[in-house]
Amino acid sequence: MEDEINVIVSGVGGQGILFATNVIIRTALEKGLNFAQSEVHGLAQRYGSIHTEIRIGPKVKSPLILEGTLDLLIAMEPLEAMRYANYVSERTTIISNSHIVPPQSAFLERFPIPSIDEIKDLLLSLNPRGLIMFDATEIASKQVGDPIVTNSVMLGGASATGILPFSAQDIRGVLQSLVPEKYKESNMRAFDLGYKEVKRILGGEG
Amino acid sequence: MLSVLAPAGRVEALLGNEAIVRGALEAGLDVAAAYPGTPSTEIGDTLGAIAKRIGVYFEWSTNEKVAVEVVTAAAWSGLRGLTCMKHVGLNVASDALFTLAYAGTKGGLVVVNAGDPSAHSSQNEQDNRYYAVSMGLPMLEPSNSQEAKDFTKEAFDLSERYEIPFILRTTTRVSHSRGPVLLGEIKKGKGKGNFKPEEFDQYLQVGAIARKHHKKLLQKLESIERDLGKDSRFYKLEGEENSSLGIITSGISYSYAWEAIKRLGSKAKLLKLGLTFPFPKEIVSDFIEELETLIVIEELEPFLENQVKALAKDCAPNLKIIGKLTGHFPRVAEYTPKIVVKALSEIRGDSLPLDLEKIERRAKLVLERVPSRPPVLCPACPHRATGYSIRRATSGRPTIYVGDIGCYALLFQKPFEIEHITHAMGSSVGFANGFSIATDQPIVALIGDSTFFHAGIPALINAIHNKHTFVAVILDNRITAMTGHQSHPGVPVDAMGEEAPMIDIGKLVRSMGVEFVKEIDPYNFKEMESALKEALDREGLSVIIAKRECALLTVRRKRREGEKIVPFRVDPEKCTHCLVCINTYACPAFVDTGEKMMIDPSVCFGCGSCVAICPFGAIEPSGGAKSWLEEVE
Repeated sequence: MEDEINVIVSGVGGQGILFATNVIIRTALEKGLNFAQSEVHGLAQRYGSIHTEIRIGPKVKSPLILEGTLDLLIAMEPLEAMRYANYVSERTTIISNSHIVPPQSAFLERFPIPSIDEIKDLLLSLNPRGLIMFDATEIASKQVGDPIVTNSVMLGGASATGILPFSAQDIRGVLQSLVPEKYKESNMRAFDLGYKEVKRILGGEG
Repeated sequence: MLSVLAPAGRVEALLGNEAIVRGALEAGLDVAAAYPGTPSTEIGDTLGAIAKRIGVYFEWSTNEKVAVEVVTAAAWSGLRGLTCMKHVGLNVASDALFTLAYAGTKGGLVVVNAGDPSAHSSQNEQDNRYYAVSMGLPMLEPSNSQEAKDFTKEAFDLSERYEIPFILRTTTRVSHSRGPVLLGEIKKGKGKGNFKPEEFDQYLQVGAIARKHHKKLLQKLESIERDLGKDSRFYKLEGEENSSLGIITSGISYSYAWEAIKRLGSKAKLLKLGLTFPFPKEIVSDFIEELETLIVIEELEPFLENQVKALAKDCAPNLKIIGKLTGHFPRVAEYTPKIVVKALSEIRGDSLPLDLEKIERRAKLVLERVPSRPPVLCPACPHRATGYSIRRATSGRPTIYVGDIGCYALLFQKPFEIEHITHAMGSSVGFANGFSIATDQPIVALIGDSTFFHAGIPALINAIHNKHTFVAVILDNRITAMTGHQSHPGVPVDAMGEEAPMIDIGKLVRSMGVEFVKEIDPYNFKEMESALKEALDREGLSVIIAKRECALLTVRRKRREGEKIVPFRVDPEKCTHCLVCINTYACPAFVDTGEKMMIDPSVCFGCGSCVAICPFGAIEPSGGAKSWLEEVE
């Protein structure tokens, strides 16, 4: 279908995936764009793998994305970028946090957790249009002072890719309006740092 | 301002469940009651949050049957009522609902029933559309949030017009999808009603009277099919009018079918049904008459397919009908865009502008390297502590572990493995009754506080009266946790945030005559283990109440009060990398670096319960942290 932008936001339950999704959806709403978005509630949130699917476009009806038609994968955790490999094709840009959160079950089952370099190679083997990886957790912890704003760093980064059908300023404005007063400053700072970091990475690539 | 309360004329991004609430408000809702269950819970959560402000009554009832009875009485008094439940919740409510179909209603009454194909958060995938047929209750199925709002609003009017409750059926992907919704005017409810039956026997169901009402019900359903079957609000006709290929679909499957046609460029016409019971025979006959091939696209059972087949025998005997019965579509699990687009492209020979197989092949190599990440109990979860003690106390005993529905169902996982069974609400205690007759094995039944109130009490009474022997562990974390923290009768606050009398589980169980009742903080490992062992060694029913509030509540309260969450740490000098912590306690904050254990400070809640687990005393507070157990003492 023409004129559709498909986005997955993925990560570990508790990483603020629903909030980041909400910011994107509300921006689409403000811009008067049609959209459909799905999420899973309930037990899946308890430190399990979680993701949302967002589709923006005039003719979009299904809240679920067809494999291979993903435009943007925003992963709050790199293993949770790998998990959506089925959706990735030549049209997909992957933007992923490089901070690994190993699942407890992997220790119990002695499942080897790939290193960040292995993860990068594996993601590149999917032949995506682009792969942007940086340590958003470190930016949030060290530069903002609270790992909880990692999702805003990633949101800033995602809006710097230019793939979403609205400007970084539009998203920033919605984020600002949705965050409670108490956390406004840290989240806006996180967003700006994420935006700058991705612009820097993209600029570096020429 | 909450989106569901935004002014008329605005377009808001609403979850299907929020849209249902808005639809009910636009219809002038008076009374709502429910028991939480994914994927229906946000309907109640939203109502609870706004009820007082807008003058609607909402309660979390002890179970779905009670909820139906609460709203039914309101509707019989002339008010508008709504209840909602997940698919398996309808099993509990069904006893009241079957007869309600005979009795009918005076005020508008809507029963929202949310199915869970794929059993994302459920114990089965049952297809509840058959309930509508066997109960004789008309059913509307929205395909998106806008329809969820519109159909809910319509359902109230229709329910009043035909004097019958309407079922509004959703699935996970309708309830938990968000889409733009154009809002209408919110209408104020009536407030108070007045109970006065039209005839003396209107609500009496017995023998000849029941037969009279059954006949009346069938007449109502005939009128509904006649009037609404061709009502353009409840069906959609799209695609190429003269095509010899037709598609019949409903609910979320419609969105996949519509997009698949567009992607494949297939020439087809499409009929989407919003009213799926009574089956709108006339509009369907008109649709299939001129077709050569019909594809039926619906999740779970061949519900529409069988009805179309029966109809086609007379009006289109040569029609080729493709669906589940021909093996083209699965009966297990929810549909996805891929399932539908692939099936359509195979049936039609239309090729997809996308090499899905290549993508799958490429992805397989990546997916093989991703560790699974199942949901686990949260850091500091009291259930982990209870599970640890049960594991130790039953060590060496051929125990039957009977689990139930709630977060503690996760104790089936390693390293605990203390749930052989999870089945239905309250079944743990029911099964324990039977196992105590059938075997001589030790039996531990686990049941949560909310589940205990919902369906555990009758089974426990049964065990007392019939002298059964087992250990019932009531995991009382002071909230309905799994569905996202709803109140229940054991907590001092109701669904609208008002103070409420609290039923004390310990007192209740003692008053029923159980002699061995102990209430223990699960962080107190020694006491818990010795109580469990004592209980396992004795004849008769023993009840242990593992009482400590859900860790998420504790942490949120601490954060609200400005208290800093100080994590615990592992002293690398003392850690021998024996892995006892991971292999027996498995908190998600534990990280195995390969040489030493460490605690991820961004995950740890600082409960300190793991201090007692480490055989080498290597876990210690960092920077003045204090264990939660000490706080109580």
